[in-house]
Amino acid sequence: MDKIHDLAQKRAAVEQGGGVKRIERQHASGKKTARERITYLLDQDSFIELDTFVTHRCTAFGMEKTDAPGEGVVTGYGTVEGRLVYVAAQDFTVIGGSLGEMHAAKICKVMDLAVKMGAPFISINDSGGARIQEGVDALKGYGDIFYRNTLASGVIPQISVIMGPCAGGAVYSPALTDFIFMTNYANMFITGPQVVKSVTGEDVSADALGGSAVHASTSGVAQFVGQTDEETLDMVRTLIGFIPSNNLETTPVVPTEDSSTRTDEGLRDIVPESPNRPYDMRDIMKNVVDDYNFFEVQPAYAANIITGFGRLNGRSVGIIGNQPKVMAGCLDINASDKASRFIRFCDAFNIPLVTFTDTPGYLPGVSQEHGGVIRHGAKLLYAYSEANVPKLTVITRKAYGGAYIAMCSRHLGADMVYALPNAEIAVMGPDGAANIIFKDEIKDAADPMSKRQEKIDEYRNKFANPYVAASRGFVDDVIDPATIRPTLINALEMCITKREARPAKKHGNLPV
Amino acid sequence: MMKTYLIHVNGVAYEVEVEEVGGNTAPTQVAPIQAPTPQVKAAPKAVPVAAAPAAPKAAPSGNGEVIKAPIPGTILDLKVQIGATVKPGDLLLILEAMKMENEIMAAKAGTVKAIFVTKGQSVNSGDPLIELQ
Repeated sequence: MDKIHDLAQKRAAVEQGGGVKRIERQHASGKKTARERITYLLDQDSFIELDTFVTHRCTAFGMEKTDAPGEGVVTGYGTVEGRLVYVAAQDFTVIGGSLGEMHAAKICKVMDLAVKMGAPFISINDSGGARIQEGVDALKGYGDIFYRNTLASGVIPQISVIMGPCAGGAVYSPALTDFIFMTNYANMFITGPQVVKSVTGEDVSADALGGSAVHASTSGVAQFVGQTDEETLDMVRTLIGFIPSNNLETTPVVPTEDSSTRTDEGLRDIVPESPNRPYDMRDIMKNVVDDYNFFEVQPAYAANIITGFGRLNGRSVGIIGNQPKVMAGCLDINASDKASRFIRFCDAFNIPLVTFTDTPGYLPGVSQEHGGVIRHGAKLLYAYSEANVPKLTVITRKAYGGAYIAMCSRHLGADMVYALPNAEIAVMGPDGAANIIFKDEIKDAADPMSKRQEKIDEYRNKFANPYVAASRGFVDDVIDPATIRPTLINALEMCITKREARPAKKHGNLPV
Repeated sequence: MMKTYLIHVNGVAYEVEVEEVGGNTAPTQVAPIQAPTPQVKAAPKAVPVAAAPAAPKAAPSGNGEVIKAPIPGTILDLKVQIGATVKPGDLLLILEAMKMENEIMAAKAGTVKAIFVTKGQSVNSGDPLIELQ
């Protein structure tokens, strides 16, 4: 009996983490402890902890006297809505959650299990960084994790949740995963404010350098931001609900009461008559998905393109759309990056793609050209062409030039392309096109201004409509806006057995 | 007669020489509120003053929230005046760009402290449009 008592005591000691005082300090700053976070994230009583009794073996710099219960990281597995997931949560109360050799070994073990069993891996980061005393062994730890992140990429969904500091090498594990969540007090940077100041002289606070607002809107590093630990973890659960557990599974189907034949005449009024008037594309997206439940990914970054998840008759789909309300919905460097990464995630995990097109084209400008819009914009073409999941496209209004091609046109392999009656599908806008095609006629006219307008109208009537593209079969059908939902559901169910073989290769060379 | 003036623009001092050529000319036009630096322009022969960085464009004065052009375009319409109170989501101006009447809205509540653009003016992305306080 003594030995059983002994076991219980040892386990209780580890579960105390860094002790009552440090736990209180964590709570005082509005944060949960590592174990509380796992408990909150997973289904009730589903968590099974592994490697509880792992300890470090460092004897340098007095580390032999330092006790690190659980090695500063809690690892194991459990379920989210009944589905298996693997978790590692760094424990800031144990020597600052610093990463040493055995800390990393615990993380690597659950990552290996996650890949073998084909279940998502969720990493909750709250760590001061490398455990300096362990020297190169700590670096080995990071390297081992990066390597596994990369091998697991496209095999299981990997989700990083930043709930505290995440600096230096530590940022690259999250960066290699599919989604980064941050709580609003979390920070991420390669070099912190002190180093920045000493090297470049720039005076910047940790928040202004790598706070959640910066990464959600400016850098595009984070996809989701929550105000509290609870809100952030709730979003993680929501995301997992939309995605399959591995690359061999299809998306989970969530039964819905929302009719698959629901039409809505209100959709006829969302896109304005005038091609110059903006509207919110999300109004259409929300309207057509099950229960009006659209889960937006990376809402604050490159808002001129929208990415997110929704369900059509229970089946999740990845939704991409231009946003006419922001920067006219044009494509630029950041929009291309944001959308291509999302498309590649969906394709890797068998999530069908639904694209809503309304874009005037690529954004002109010196900063765009010098910033490499050619190679960044190419990612979008690459990602759509490479994807062999079902691809459905709805052209709601403008689809001009290269941007028409890029937004999952028939030519990039869309399975079904629909256009609304007021769609304008052409090589360029009427104004520009008239100036070029009728250049001489306009120049020689008695009244060039009115001749120009006449030619613009002529071009608009002849070409700025969906019927030219439909006459070639590039658009499969022109539909009533009220019927977008039933049309998409019907097409999706028709496409669900899609098999499209690609030439065997090691891997393609995405223009990064 | 050559006169030398010291002009301060955004805290940078410019030494400017002005030569009087005519007799008693009318006083120079009063500068528009938002452009406090016209004298620099009035001195074409001035010593190379480091290409007067912020020459014609008004510079936001600081502590307010400056709304910048998200995209290059033309100001189609101004919907607010200096001193107006705005709520988040209120329409401030319309920026025509990429053939679209882009609505520029207030991100948070405040008072319009300065307007840096006029109707019909072309702006580059990043140019200050309106300052809220």
